[in-house]
Amino acid sequence: MAGTAPKSLKIRTYHVGFGDCFLLSFEYARGPERHVLIDYGSTGLPAKTPKTRMMDIAVDIRKRTGGKLHAVVATHRHKDHISGFETKKNGNGTGDVIRSLKPDLVVQPWTEDPKLGPKATGPVAAGGGAKRLADLSSMQSVAAFTMLQSRSTRYFNKELREQFNFLGESNISNPGAVKNLMSMGKKSEYVHAGKKTALEKVLPGVKVDVLGPPTVKQTATIKKQRDRDPNEFWQLQARAMNAAGMTEAGGKVLFPKHVRTRGPRFPVDTRWLIYRARNIRGDNLLQIVRMLDKAMNNTSVILLLRVGKFSLLFPGDAQIENWQYALDNNANRKLLAGVDVYKVGHHGSTNATPKTLWQGFKKKSKDAGNKSRLRTLMSTMEHKHGSEESHTEVPRTTLVSALKTQSELFSTQQLTAGKFFHETLVKFS
Amino acid sequence: MKNRGGSRHSLPTTQKLTIIAQDPSVRLNGKILTTEIEIPAEEILDGPCGYRINVIDYDSTSNVLYQPASYQMLDNGSYKDPFKRSRPARTAAQHNDALVGDPRFHSQNVYAIAMRILARFEFALGRRVPWGSHGHQLHVAPHAFADANAFYSKQDRGLFFGYFAGGNGKPVFACLSHDVVAHETTHALLDGLRGRFLEPSSPDQAAFHEGFADIVALLSVFSLKDLVAKLIDGSTGAARLIDQKFLEPEALRESVLFGLAEQMGEELSKVRGEALRRSIRLAPGRDYMAEPEYQEPHRRGELLVAAIMNAFLEIWLKRLDRVGFIQGRKRDRSLVIDEGAAVADHLLTMAIRALDYCPPTDLAFSDYLSALLTIDREVVPDDSRFNYREVLVKCFGAYGIAPDSDADKDGTWRRCDIDLVYSRTHFDSMLRDKEEVFRFLWENRKALDIVREGYVEVETVRPSFRVAPDGFILRETVAEYVQILTLQVGELKDALDIDPPKDMPHWKRVRIFGGGALIFNEYGQLKYQIRNRIEDSKGQTARLKYLWESGYFDREPDDKSHFAALHLARATD
Repeated sequence: MAGTAPKSLKIRTYHVGFGDCFLLSFEYARGPERHVLIDYGSTGLPAKTPKTRMMDIAVDIRKRTGGKLHAVVATHRHKDHISGFETKKNGNGTGDVIRSLKPDLVVQPWTEDPKLGPKATGPVAAGGGAKRLADLSSMQSVAAFTMLQSRSTRYFNKELREQFNFLGESNISNPGAVKNLMSMGKKSEYVHAGKKTALEKVLPGVKVDVLGPPTVKQTATIKKQRDRDPNEFWQLQARAMNAAGMTEAGGKVLFPKHVRTRGPRFPVDTRWLIYRARNIRGDNLLQIVRMLDKAMNNTSVILLLRVGKFSLLFPGDAQIENWQYALDNNANRKLLAGVDVYKVGHHGSTNATPKTLWQGFKKKSKDAGNKSRLRTLMSTMEHKHGSEESHTEVPRTTLVSALKTQSELFSTQQLTAGKFFHETLVKFS
Repeated sequence: MKNRGGSRHSLPTTQKLTIIAQDPSVRLNGKILTTEIEIPAEEILDGPCGYRINVIDYDSTSNVLYQPASYQMLDNGSYKDPFKRSRPARTAAQHNDALVGDPRFHSQNVYAIAMRILARFEFALGRRVPWGSHGHQLHVAPHAFADANAFYSKQDRGLFFGYFAGGNGKPVFACLSHDVVAHETTHALLDGLRGRFLEPSSPDQAAFHEGFADIVALLSVFSLKDLVAKLIDGSTGAARLIDQKFLEPEALRESVLFGLAEQMGEELSKVRGEALRRSIRLAPGRDYMAEPEYQEPHRRGELLVAAIMNAFLEIWLKRLDRVGFIQGRKRDRSLVIDEGAAVADHLLTMAIRALDYCPPTDLAFSDYLSALLTIDREVVPDDSRFNYREVLVKCFGAYGIAPDSDADKDGTWRRCDIDLVYSRTHFDSMLRDKEEVFRFLWENRKALDIVREGYVEVETVRPSFRVAPDGFILRETVAEYVQILTLQVGELKDALDIDPPKDMPHWKRVRIFGGGALIFNEYGQLKYQIRNRIEDSKGQTARLKYLWESGYFDREPDDKSHFAALHLARATD
């Protein structure tokens, strides 16, 4: 295998604002480079960014790859990871450009497999059982309903509204992108933790370990029994919101013949309860959207790419529940300890780089001159999400400072003056 | 309210109102099964709004306030039930629409069920029972939001019921389910009686609220006799006799217990998970308590429900032997049902009274079993007739729950037989005054083994009245005290011999609880001291380990509604 192994790798980290887009180009001693695109999406660009940014990136990818992508990995279906795959009817969408690069392989989490029956708890081959795809769409319709609700409810305050918008935005469905991903590859692959992937064939000499997402069955081996099927929960939520007629802004009135008043001046003796009920509703909706966001993040594909002793970790937005399965295994923990390049999970949020993972990285070093020092890549945008007061800001200050002091960090926020990508060179020999 | 007729005696003490017997899916000839229930009579304002329940029908999703239900007073001082039909509706659709299609009926339904559960608690304890939340009146919002959720919120002083679309697209209302309303009302009452049961503690304590609320909801159904009459053989319930084949253990289990659980409406069961259905199907004879799956609070709560419901069935069967055969192998239906109602009634009273005999902090199921046995012995010293206590020990044992290890051989609490100082306190003050009871504790702290360190507070002093076996009124006084010690993790070993989890930071502050219920007899002498010692190093070590492992210390402090969050967490864990 040594003869066929790649000599080096160039990683282009594109500046998509709040989102992820990485182009990996492997250079071999013989033959052309091989290109893998990991995610391509954005939910917000910094002020003054040209409107053509996403298209500029697509064009750059076409140019860099010479018109041929070998593989695409879409870690999960959040907008900030897949919006770039959206096509246009006139064929001029960014997704159309990527499609024209005819990827041989498209890798997605098992939860995206269109062949999954409504009762699957795992991939088709494993013969499992829980409405996964149906759920993803239920979850996304919950997100869409929530967005509608937050827009139509006048009594929500600004802060609550902003949180809804942020979470809702990335969770509502990108039907064009999902469809494009499903059909653009010569081969589509839906992976779960421990599955062999055809990426190894696409990238000779590269060993690829899929560390996540676990299937529902795999999750059950590390978690206590659930009281209720979480998938059923999302369908129920979607139905609850449907009951309220929330597809039309404003919500449906259940008993139009029995309305006493629609406000804004409610009888004095009812105001206390009204105030409380409104707060409860705001809190509950926020909690639901947060859970939904987390659940979707946890469908992220976690890839560990190894060339010889060198390894690179691309975990999408996986949060602790997804990591847990991988970290539960000794052999995996050993592999993870040796990581050389880490794509910082979930744009540097507090919940996507588990302490066990970070503490386990052996190549962390405070010595900037150390040649084998851990390298970290972070695609993010400040002030888009969370607040410092509640310690939920993205990227999280404490994590960023740890990344800065103990690794060689590149953040897309460092890109200035119209530059929209950064290239990291990794030499294997 | 005026004293109509000039005499206090002419005022009615109860009032009848129509409710949906189970939920809208339980029907007879297509008509939703309704029943009239008796609740305490009171002055009812529009809402309904009474002295303990205030229904305000506001929907936060559509931002609409619906009309309140209004009540017209009759000459006899009671109110006219606006939903009692003078003649039956012509069609099932008309009948159903008048109930489901009118939010004012929904308001009446929640009001009446909540008042009935409150009255049931007050009857069992012989005193007024407060809500856990502040204030005399609990707010109830029957259509609070579009969400498959219903909960009691202490901070928001209310019960909030949601609605969602059923499989057929029509709305399903949590407020129309007897089970859901009774369950949530019980949370509010249990919180009023034992406020510290919501504190983070052990899997048992976390499970107790859910399990107990299910028990109250289930047992209170058996006094709705027309419903049981229908379930028992799947008939209209009109025939006077019932064949013995329906009264065999398996048949009864299938029809009444399983039947009831099934009837509870598949869709509504989703509001609260499927605890009820599953608990009844749990086969006895396994040490569930030790299994990892049953460390999760909701699953654990099912064990309590299973134990009580199996005891109920066993005693009912025993009592049926007293109902003779009338024709061949047939028995009188109404007697059969009366027997079931009597057993359920007795068990429900015991279940509620036992709360007074529970330690106020860190409750374990074993404590509750000992409390049940003790209160039953107090009320019915001779257990030889139906062997309630024997059956309870057996049925709890079948799910891995044994009486407390400090209890007597028969599982009841040991009576207090220590010499105490009474001379520095006064009998009359001891009946109601927290300061006086604290003084009593102070003077007897050595004898009662209450350490000097930490904070000690007498939280409540309450009377409890009941009719003694000899027909006389029996008064007891129940006082609760708590001990709280806040220490850093690093100090735990030296101070209380507690071994904290190894990976827990030594600087972290933790609160350690202890406390007890003091039961004074009618002479003001201490009869029982039912407690959890703060120095119980084994128990405290286990509690800390559980809280650490379940991630309690990682959570952001959150004052949001406990039950709202709990219900959501259950769904996505």
